[in-house]
Amino acid sequence: MTIMKKWGTAAIAAALLSSTAFTAMAADVVIGRANEPSAIDPQFSRTGNNQMTADNMFETLLRTDENLQMHPHLATEWQNLDPLTWEISIRKDVTFHDGSPFTVDDVIYSLERTDEVPNSPAPFTDMVSSVDKLEKIDDHKFRLITKAPNPALMEQIGRVFMVSKKATENATLEDFNSGKAAIGTGPYKFVEWRPAESLKLTAYDNYWGKKPDFENVEFRFIANDAARTAALLSGSVDIIDSVSPSDVPRLESSGNLKVFPVESGRLVYLALNMRDDTAPGVVDASGKLIEPNPFRDAKVRKAISKMIDRQLLVDRVLNGAGVPSAQIVPSVLGGYVEDLQPEPANPAEAKALLAEAGFPEGFGITIYSSNDRFPGDGDIAQALGQLLARGGLKVNGVQTQPYNVYSAAATKGEYGAYIFSLGSSTPNAEANLRSLLQTYSKEAGTGGFNRMRYSNADFDAALNEAIEEFDQEKRMEKLQAATRIAMEDQAIVPLYFQKIYWAAREGIDFTPNLSERTVASDVRIAK
Amino acid sequence: MTAFVIRRLLQAMVVLFVTSVIVFTGVYAIGDPLEILLPADATMAERAQVARSLGLDQPLIVQYGRFLMNALSGNLGTSFVYNRPSISIILDRLPATLELAFSALVLAIIIGIPLGLWSGLRRGSAVDETIMTGSILGFSLPNFWQGMMLIMIFSVYLGWLPSTGRGQTGTILGIETSFATWDGIRHLILPAINLSLAKISLVIRLTRTGVQETMPLDFIKFARARGLSSRRIVTVHVLKNILIPIITVIGVEFGSLIAFAVVTETIFSWPGVGKLIIDSIKVLDRPVVVAYILVVVTMFITINLIVDILYSILDPRIRSKAP
Repeated sequence: MTIMKKWGTAAIAAALLSSTAFTAMAADVVIGRANEPSAIDPQFSRTGNNQMTADNMFETLLRTDENLQMHPHLATEWQNLDPLTWEISIRKDVTFHDGSPFTVDDVIYSLERTDEVPNSPAPFTDMVSSVDKLEKIDDHKFRLITKAPNPALMEQIGRVFMVSKKATENATLEDFNSGKAAIGTGPYKFVEWRPAESLKLTAYDNYWGKKPDFENVEFRFIANDAARTAALLSGSVDIIDSVSPSDVPRLESSGNLKVFPVESGRLVYLALNMRDDTAPGVVDASGKLIEPNPFRDAKVRKAISKMIDRQLLVDRVLNGAGVPSAQIVPSVLGGYVEDLQPEPANPAEAKALLAEAGFPEGFGITIYSSNDRFPGDGDIAQALGQLLARGGLKVNGVQTQPYNVYSAAATKGEYGAYIFSLGSSTPNAEANLRSLLQTYSKEAGTGGFNRMRYSNADFDAALNEAIEEFDQEKRMEKLQAATRIAMEDQAIVPLYFQKIYWAAREGIDFTPNLSERTVASDVRIAK
Repeated sequence: MTAFVIRRLLQAMVVLFVTSVIVFTGVYAIGDPLEILLPADATMAERAQVARSLGLDQPLIVQYGRFLMNALSGNLGTSFVYNRPSISIILDRLPATLELAFSALVLAIIIGIPLGLWSGLRRGSAVDETIMTGSILGFSLPNFWQGMMLIMIFSVYLGWLPSTGRGQTGTILGIETSFATWDGIRHLILPAINLSLAKISLVIRLTRTGVQETMPLDFIKFARARGLSSRRIVTVHVLKNILIPIITVIGVEFGSLIAFAVVTETIFSWPGVGKLIIDSIKVLDRPVVVAYILVVVTMFITINLIVDILYSILDPRIRSKAP
């Protein structure tokens, strides 16, 4: 009897032990992802959806950490022999998933292939546009010669995914999608991709770096927010991304789930169109377009900024899912200016500024926004309308449209005051300052996303100085100086940085990141 | 007869051509795909490169001309997003949608007809009232909300059924389908129910009305007088007579099931064409949108043609009327 009892206890203990052991080694994880890739070829498209997919199987010369800072990865060290010539060394212990070693031949092949992927809808061309010549020194060292001095070279080529020359030569897009050519050096190997449904991966045993916690990974593509949350609640997935801000309080209070928030690098801003002599929707009391365009006056732009209570917007409209901002990049990025902080709303000062600019009675304005681009975009526009009305403007309307219609019209300059967002994907402010605020010029190819056509010679000069600076520390200081000039001028009216959320079941840990990526190796067993 | 079919085929060609013009210009008018495809920090050189490689730098008329020439040789364009022939993307996804629509249709018939018969025969009873109230709900609940409720109840609280994806598929007669595995069927249940609820209600109401109209007719009275059991009267004489309008309506509804699958596919992450078309409209993947609409139009034309041919075979009056 006692023996039986003992055996019974032992059996239960063993069962318990094995079950805890099983949890600790939980070999598989299912990740619910909001978006899905369009192809497996890592060089096919530069969109976030495709890059975060490629990050599981392929690697880059430099690694981007959760704060968008870049570190040596497949490339171990580099130096400038002169402003045009770079000597770059790569790791020696790296192998591809088919077992073949990773060498300089693969690097050169990958860099050369970058702008040659046929029909790419979002090519990496710019990453290698400054490269003139590539010369192999030995299997693990090569020389790169640029067309002009380019201090940002490593940040650029460091983002190009490395593919295997052997597996990729003559491979088609289909070969990647089927897995035949999906041979990378990353922690996970391709198993199966079913478009609109799932992507299955398995750990690569000979991975050179830190081994991931989970052996098998399945991404499930669940586009609908509510359905994704439901999938987590029902236990059919272990972790989800892009949690809708309105679901966050409920998930947080549920006890056996954990929410991982991060202040993302996506800035939501109000743009004031300075392109033409009049701004669409900006009218006088009789409804006539005001000429000259009031938005060309920095005082008017500043007045509008002062009307906006950013904290109120974030708290009331977004359930707290934002961080008020007065500049282009978040605090962890290079070029962030410490003392540029959002000021509280001040309608009195705003009125005074408007009077100074010649509009003591204000003017009529229409606010435009997308309504399906980021959480709360339509609501933010409505709330802004009320804030501007309180500040002394006559708000004639708030118009929102689906992003596919909205974006093209905004680019054509059809909106006067409009809301847009801009994400960060680089370690510092340079890329965003360049595309958003540099003077628009089709010939020079500058200011590609400067839809409001802001143009300030001082700012352009300051930014160019930063772009040409080789010394990393000085470069950041110069980026700060440029940011200061633009913000002093109120080139745009920054509103807030979006907060984004992941949520996971108990026992799963995740490192949230600024670049809004959901990568399998960031999902770990909680310790 | 042959002349009739040939004439209809020519008409179909005209319809397809007109549709392609309307859809092409419509999709063209929405917005600029480059705005959506390119990342925010793309340079102008990259923009120009993409515009060139996708043919977006050409004027509308040239783009349409190219599309038409390719279409005539059976190529409906290459997806901007996936860089694959749009027709093969659609054909990859179509089985999942057809499977869902078919399941919903079967549910509508095997649940709707018995319930309709029952409530029609017991008119005014508590059973009738309950079924009719239920069918009002089935009609009026928003598909989207109803889907979320199904997920909340059966996946989240009870944990009986999975709520996303198609699950394990297998092959039956060379077709990849969820019917082949138990896991696949489990995944199919909730979306199929969600899609079928409105159709079940429709079939219930059609059947009930049919029963009520047929029961007082003379041939039923004669059947009774002959001493047939009421079971035989209902299953043979009543059912046979009311089935004709029901089958006609169901045939028409099959098309709308495929169209309405969009909402259900989105909620249940079902990898069908409905979800594909919504995603493609969002990112302005013009070739896929145009190809999808042409495929759907072809499908409807084919169904109508078959119906017309069947009618003219069955009913000589239609044949003689057609000039």
